[in-house]
Amino acid sequence: MKRWMQILLLAALGIGLVIAAIVASGSNPMDALSGMLKGSLGTPNAISGTLKETTPLLLAGIAVFLALKAGLFNIGVEGQFTVGACACSVVAIKLPGIVGMLLGILAGIAMGALWAYPAGWIRAYRGGHEVITTIMLNNIAGFLTIALVSGPIKDPSQEGTTTQNIADSSFFPRVADQGPWTVSAALVIGILGAIALGYWLKKAVRGYELRAVGANPTAAAMAGIDAKKIIVRAMVSSGAIGGFAGAIQVLAFEHRFYGNFSPGYGFDALGVALLSGSSAVGLIPSAFLFGILAKGGTAIQVFGVPKGITTVILGVLIVIAAAVRYRKFKAVES
Amino acid sequence: MTGISKRFGEVQALDSVDLSVESGTLHALVGENGAGKSTLMKVLYGALQPDSGEVQVEGQRVDIKSSAQAIALGIGMVSQHYGIIPELSCLQNLILGAEGGPVIQLAAARDRAQELAAKMGFSFDWDSDAADLTPAGAQKLEILKLLWRNSRIMILDEPTAMLSPLDGEALFASLRQLVDGGSTVILVTHRLPEVFDYCQEVTVLRGGKLVATKSVTSTNPAELAELIIGKRLEPAESHAETPGDVIFEASELSVKGYRGDLALKSINLKIRSGEVVGIAGVDGSGQRELLHAIAGTVGFVGGSAKLFGRDLTEISAQQRLDAGLRIIPEDRLGEGVIEEWSLVENCALGLQRQFPFSRSGIVLEGDRRTAAGVIADRFQTKRGSLDEPIASLSGGNQQRFVAGRALFGKPRLILAFQPARGLDLAATREVYEAIREKCREGAAALVVSYDLDELLDYCDRIVVLNRGVLSEPGAGNERNPEVIGRLMVGAE
Repeated sequence: MKRWMQILLLAALGIGLVIAAIVASGSNPMDALSGMLKGSLGTPNAISGTLKETTPLLLAGIAVFLALKAGLFNIGVEGQFTVGACACSVVAIKLPGIVGMLLGILAGIAMGALWAYPAGWIRAYRGGHEVITTIMLNNIAGFLTIALVSGPIKDPSQEGTTTQNIADSSFFPRVADQGPWTVSAALVIGILGAIALGYWLKKAVRGYELRAVGANPTAAAMAGIDAKKIIVRAMVSSGAIGGFAGAIQVLAFEHRFYGNFSPGYGFDALGVALLSGSSAVGLIPSAFLFGILAKGGTAIQVFGVPKGITTVILGVLIVIAAAVRYRKFKAVES
Repeated sequence: MTGISKRFGEVQALDSVDLSVESGTLHALVGENGAGKSTLMKVLYGALQPDSGEVQVEGQRVDIKSSAQAIALGIGMVSQHYGIIPELSCLQNLILGAEGGPVIQLAAARDRAQELAAKMGFSFDWDSDAADLTPAGAQKLEILKLLWRNSRIMILDEPTAMLSPLDGEALFASLRQLVDGGSTVILVTHRLPEVFDYCQEVTVLRGGKLVATKSVTSTNPAELAELIIGKRLEPAESHAETPGDVIFEASELSVKGYRGDLALKSINLKIRSGEVVGIAGVDGSGQRELLHAIAGTVGFVGGSAKLFGRDLTEISAQQRLDAGLRIIPEDRLGEGVIEEWSLVENCALGLQRQFPFSRSGIVLEGDRRTAAGVIADRFQTKRGSLDEPIASLSGGNQQRFVAGRALFGKPRLILAFQPARGLDLAATREVYEAIREKCREGAAALVVSYDLDELLDYCDRIVVLNRGVLSEPGAGNERNPEVIGRLMVGAE
């Protein structure tokens, strides 16, 4: 069977699976689809909500993407995001105003980087796989921050595991704030960041070297590149961006930290990076698509369609993307 | 085996080769790298199908289509790289693939394993991980694996390559015992002492052709070395101009191999500007480690070395490249290029920090593209667009590209590991002439090849590596192929 036919078949199977799942839940697939689109793109409010979901997905997607280019599968963005958010909230609560905001961002970046460092070091110098170490670090991050927010940094006036709110003066600025339209400046940073990363990977010698390590570490070593150092640096930078995303989530949207802070942005970011078509700029539409599904998924619940259907759709998309992606050209030795 | 022929693309690997081995003997198969020894053995083991010729086992004509069929016929092979899975226990490794049914009968397996081992005088801790085995232990386990499968004809490819001399002797004692018990052993080797100490018959292959089969008692090491290397005309004297400044100097340099033993043992080597120095030696004599140590991808454990007048420990791999070190690596796909990258991106690999590939950390895309064209056309690489992945080129054309890259700009020391690998004679000549040309302009080159003719044709000076020890042919014999050949196989 030709490869494209396999992919087509896969796509058809996937769509069939989604429709079957919707029908099984007792709804009309067309209603569900239109409901999802209306709920995510139909009104200014809906679009603002979609963009709000897009922002952390894009930032975390950049973090995953950078590591991926160095050949690292950073599953740990979820944990880096969480510790970044937690550290930022602590700083921003103590220090109101723009200073608190800036220092909060720095704290988030530093904690994210610190959280990624062991995984990078172990991979480079001890050969321990980053997927395992980052999953463990995710668990530590999750439980540690829950412990903190249950005690030391808990808002005593609240029942739940949450901190106080940060001061309004520390909120991250918005680029649009008129009536139903609200767009955080963080989205702009994410878009510019993705473009800048793409440019850096292509035009900077260091970007070239990082990609060489990701594509073939042995050839990179022969080309004089210190692959181990680059692996550590890429992991730490990826963690720093993940921590930055967490800090932004506090400063721009949530304004506080609480237990189980991330609804899985770090994990969805893996999908964002995989769907980007291995182009940094491709992260932008990819994150937007994930944003639509996240927002639209909530909207279709009124039709009685479970929110989880969006996860099924994402799963199908990722499997198809992976099939297309690995349909790589291979020469025959002649 | 009679009239076995096998062709790979342009290369006639085996040309109507006959081999007959008497049962109950230890038969040596010798020849240079690329002589066809392994190909012939793979045909016998069913791993390769010959283009023509026939195989008879114990008088019966057989058509061996797969290794499984070979095993069923009682033919077993231990390849140079052991097929032992370190995570499994010794017993699990022993029975792997020959468990004898869908349910593993561990107790019964252990009894039989114990019996086989006792017969050979081996002892194993069956439940310990195979990862803990010494190279000699792994070799013994491989032999037991053959016995487990009831092999009567055993092929051992370079069995002592990873063994210490003492373990080697012990191995041959066990092989002796097997042969006395009626088994037949075919030993593929480069080492003539093994042939004379332990074998009864020896077959020599050269360039895919059968040269001779002799009884060991009727020949001697010097004659055998000559049969292996072939009669050669004494080539012209060194065509080098007077060598200039020292470019690279190693004194008492020792480098650890990838298996932890010493792959280079206190070698002394001086390379001067203007010289093309060839390293002769059979595969795995330490060439790889020497080149990697100079490139900076492995460190060394003893002695010292200077490159471009600076101590090697002071300069990083990157600095060496920036100062004019160029590499044509051994494994072009694994070490030389990034398959899925375009020719444009690959042309900068190793040169990425130098002009015209970049300036102040920024890639110069226009200049890099121009350079890619120059590099590709240096040896007429047959290619499509420069933006196509290098994986789209054939192996030979990738080699042309990698060679072109190493000769781009102003190299000062060219490390070339089989620079003509996969190239035809005309292209081989062209690549070597280009290396010589750069050396006339003041560079130096260190060339590794398994083909002594190639080295004699193109190098100014030849040194020999044998089991990590570097030697020179000595005054008067600088270009004497027989002397060099004997040094290569340890016959002198």
